[in-house]
Amino acid sequence: MTDGSSIRRKLMSIILVTSTAVLLLTCASFFAYEFFTFRTTTATNLSTMGAVLASNATGSLIFNIPEDATEILSALQAEPHIRAASLYDANGALFATYPKDSPADRFPSAPEIDGYHFRDGYLISFQPVVQGGKRLGTLYLKSDMDGIYARFRLYAAIAAAVILATSLLAYGLSRRLQWQISLPILALTQTAKAVADRGDYSVRAQRIGTGEFETLTDAFNHMLERIHEGDTALRDSEERFRSAMSYSAIGMALITPEGSLLDVNQALCDMIGYTRDEILSTRFESLVHSDDVAANVNEFQRLLNEQTNVYRVEQRHLHKSGQVIWVDLSMSIVREQTGKPLYCIAQIQDITNRKRDEELLLNLNSELEERVQERTRKLKEANSELEAFSYSVSHDLRAPLRAIDGFSRILLEENADKLDEDGRRVLDVIRHNTQNMGRLIDDLLAFSRLSRKQMEPCLVNMSELARDVFEQLKPGFIDQKIHFKLSDLPATYGDPALIRQVFVNLISNAAKYSRPKPETVIELESHSKNGDYVYSVRDNGVGFDMAYSKKLFGVFQRLHSLEQFEGTGVGLAIVQRIVHRHGGLVWADARIDEGATFYFSLPKEKKFDGDIATGE
Amino acid sequence: MALSKTLANRRRSWLRKMLTVVCSGIIVAFLLGERTRSAPASEYQVKAAFLFNFTKFVEWPPTAFGDSNTPLVIGVLGQDPFGSYLNETVQGESVNSRQLQVERYRSVAEIKRCHVLFISRSESDRLNQIVATLKYRGILTVTDADAVDTGVIIRFVNEGGRIRFRIDSSAAKAAKLSISSKLLRLG
Repeated sequence: MTDGSSIRRKLMSIILVTSTAVLLLTCASFFAYEFFTFRTTTATNLSTMGAVLASNATGSLIFNIPEDATEILSALQAEPHIRAASLYDANGALFATYPKDSPADRFPSAPEIDGYHFRDGYLISFQPVVQGGKRLGTLYLKSDMDGIYARFRLYAAIAAAVILATSLLAYGLSRRLQWQISLPILALTQTAKAVADRGDYSVRAQRIGTGEFETLTDAFNHMLERIHEGDTALRDSEERFRSAMSYSAIGMALITPEGSLLDVNQALCDMIGYTRDEILSTRFESLVHSDDVAANVNEFQRLLNEQTNVYRVEQRHLHKSGQVIWVDLSMSIVREQTGKPLYCIAQIQDITNRKRDEELLLNLNSELEERVQERTRKLKEANSELEAFSYSVSHDLRAPLRAIDGFSRILLEENADKLDEDGRRVLDVIRHNTQNMGRLIDDLLAFSRLSRKQMEPCLVNMSELARDVFEQLKPGFIDQKIHFKLSDLPATYGDPALIRQVFVNLISNAAKYSRPKPETVIELESHSKNGDYVYSVRDNGVGFDMAYSKKLFGVFQRLHSLEQFEGTGVGLAIVQRIVHRHGGLVWADARIDEGATFYFSLPKEKKFDGDIATGE
Repeated sequence: MALSKTLANRRRSWLRKMLTVVCSGIIVAFLLGERTRSAPASEYQVKAAFLFNFTKFVEWPPTAFGDSNTPLVIGVLGQDPFGSYLNETVQGESVNSRQLQVERYRSVAEIKRCHVLFISRSESDRLNQIVATLKYRGILTVTDADAVDTGVIIRFVNEGGRIRFRIDSSAAKAAKLSISSKLLRLG
């Protein structure tokens, strides 16, 4: 309240000064009015009195009896304000005086012009004494102004009392009324002071008064609220940042744009073995390994020049013990709204262990790679040996088979007459089996060659390829009536020779297993599925039992007897291997006597490698 | 009225003072040897002026004048002491717009219309008779003879060498004359 007294005093003094000034002005004008009125009244009174005296004194003058005139004038004793009076005869000679015995030099030696005037605080009047239109002489009257002064003293006393009373009243009233103005302002002031002194933005000004004060208080409170919110947000943000920095497992440092350290956290201290004070007394560069300083400084400069907002480097620091530590340093910058850099935040993670692990892993990897290469080399050797072996076996197996077949034929042709019917039948069986075995060996050779063949992928026109294959195979099924229905198949990537083999196997199978039907229908279609093209080959042949579908694609696996349908059981295995090498899948759908459909998918994009797929 | 009463009272004491002063003055005058008598003419000059001035303070009854043009007559009964002074004094003057006229009478019988009558000392012996004759005729009688209690309205007196007068207000009343208080106070 002590601080508030200023505005209260000011308001009070304004009110008091104003009211006093108004009163003084009123009194002054009243005084002036009174003064002039009183002068006029006094002059009028004097003039009236003079007229009476002059009228009375005519006889004295006419009959030249100064004693009588003196007597007449002595009646002025009743008027204490009349200080002097005298009568002059027609010649202007002094005739009678009042007071009676005053010396003559106290009166004007001769009458002046008629009328009255104020002189030296006295009212002086000269009036003619006339009888019957004839001037007999002049009456002189001198009145003091004590009356007006006495009255003024009285007025002054009254005015002073009134001013005093009014001031007291004004003081009392203003003391009460000024609260309407000063109280809201004082409340605001107190609130503002509380906010300023304690920084406590949760304080609110009390709503006192109406109109502008209400608006002012509301605006003030609203402002406080905004500041409070901002302050709280800032505090929270600061607290979060401080907390994040203090308890971070990662080393953190605040760095000025000039490179001095503002703050570091405990994690960083622990990391490089210095105390906080030791770090803060140095510059950031001095903590960096001398070989990495240049790169860091360069990046830091780029950060300051707004070329980047953050940079990340892996660099070495020196522990207090002299040991080298690898760190992952992430440096970001905080700018003012104007873009001026405020400070930089460094986040430093000790990656010494990771680096060591990486190195170990790298060593391990290269060792592993060496071993893999060694193994692969050995495996390749073994594989090629095996292939060479199987090829040579297959090849070497064919020679005796050809000999058996050849000699059996010779025997059958040249000695047919020496053999009976049974003997010829046995020889036919021998030849048939020998030929079968030859085909088996051929297929086996083809299958094993497939693994070794290098893939040469390109965009393959599937429709054209399929039609070409059908046309090539058609002569082999001359005794069959075949309807070949080819949809428009999308082109895709693949090795043309291998894909051709797929179509050869599937179309020839379809024709083969449809032979018992009076008319054979082979349909080729395609659709998209999961980014692959799915091609299908459907027949209306004998079909098969789905219970055995898993055996379909195994080598030498057959669902039908050789007597029913010739074949080696290698075709579908070859199909599966080729499709797998292209990154696709093979499956089938069939019912006995209702035909079969074989599906194979190929990726729309070329995603297979050209290398040999192993492990099949 | 209060003022005039006090003035009257004062005048009596003043009168006694003045009497002694006048007596001593006369003695001094005699001792000094005829010095003050140097202006006998001026005495009647003054008295002539007085006669004229009296008319200004006196109101006559309406019957005293025939009409508004009737002059105001100042008469002198007996031996005229004024010489030419009286005529000179009233020459060209008027009172209440009435002309002034001076008449001279040897006897009362000669008096017809008169407003102010100066009775000369020569008539001192017949004063009572004259007054008795004129008492109710509305004439302001004036004399400088020794006429105390004779019924003459105004008597000139000599006080210390100065001419004064005394007024017998009851006589004035009897003559139906209204004398101004200003004049009464002086007499």
